[in-house]
Amino acid sequence: MKPFRADLHIHSLLSPCGSLDMSPAAIIRHAVARGLDMIAVSDHNTTLHCELAVTLGLGAGITVLRAAEVTSSEEVHSLVILPDGEARVSFQAWLEQHSTFVPHDPKIFGDQVVIDSDENIITEITHYLPAALDATLDEVEAAAHRHGALFIPAHIDRPSFSITSQLGFIPEDLYIDAIEVTGPTPDLLYPVIRNSDAHIPEHIGRRYTSYMLSRPSFEELAMALRGEAGRHIIAAER
Amino acid sequence: MKVTDIIEKLGLTVFSGHEGLGREITGGYSSDLLSDVMGHAPSGAAWVTIQTHRNVMAIASLRDLAVVIITGGETPGEDTMVQSNEEGIPVLGTALNTFELSGRLYSLITE
Repeated sequence: MKPFRADLHIHSLLSPCGSLDMSPAAIIRHAVARGLDMIAVSDHNTTLHCELAVTLGLGAGITVLRAAEVTSSEEVHSLVILPDGEARVSFQAWLEQHSTFVPHDPKIFGDQVVIDSDENIITEITHYLPAALDATLDEVEAAAHRHGALFIPAHIDRPSFSITSQLGFIPEDLYIDAIEVTGPTPDLLYPVIRNSDAHIPEHIGRRYTSYMLSRPSFEELAMALRGEAGRHIIAAER
Repeated sequence: MKVTDIIEKLGLTVFSGHEGLGREITGGYSSDLLSDVMGHAPSGAAWVTIQTHRNVMAIASLRDLAVVIITGGETPGEDTMVQSNEEGIPVLGTALNTFELSGRLYSLITE
């Protein structure tokens, strides 16, 4: 086993707030250059760039996990990191089923485009992706775990769209695999990780977490968050 | 002004916390950020919000609020109502939005 560096919160150009420079290929190029071993592509309420990123990652020798940053009805953002392609397809259907279809104006919020491996636009999403789903945080957590995913409340120390800002404190009966922070480590009992929340290439890897694993994979990451069989979080770097 | 007075005057629905219907309202606070309410809502306030999560009741209790009013026709979750009954802090509802309800409540309280 050895340390692996992972940044599990990266937006592609499909997120309206994601820079148009954030194609899956560019994300992988920058992630490799930054010395990361594993990343997750986590757009707002969609997983539609994950498969392209996974394929490109295989060619570049970097592990790419499928993920989404999900907005609950309370406007709490959580990372849902999925185990495999099958779970992603099913979770994508769940996301679409719970979308509230707020109309999107690219002039105000930015473009929401899905591209192919030649960087041609395949689809433009016409509803505002980050809008709150009609699913409560409890329901997001249940859906994540039903899909075998990891459920990680995002940037819990930020003053907007965090479990802390929206709900005041973390409900103790919520089943949480880890919490993501951007600043100092809080005095809480949950596993703590840091990720970049990058929207531009230069931010990829600006925060990351080192894990002791036998290889960079979803299963190993899940074991590290549970502290199983010698896998563990080494340090959440910033 | 008591909780029962605003129920009658504003035509509010009572979801839970019937034991607290005699509580005295001494002010109001409108916010959907529970972290904000936790830090700033005055005790005795009627809290106007669209949030329905069970943490609403923990914060209402912490700040000693008089009543919670859920706007926009939203319905509190079962666990929220259970905690409201336990705390004796009523949860009320209205189809009005937060702006409309807050304006009417403000007029009533400052009459």
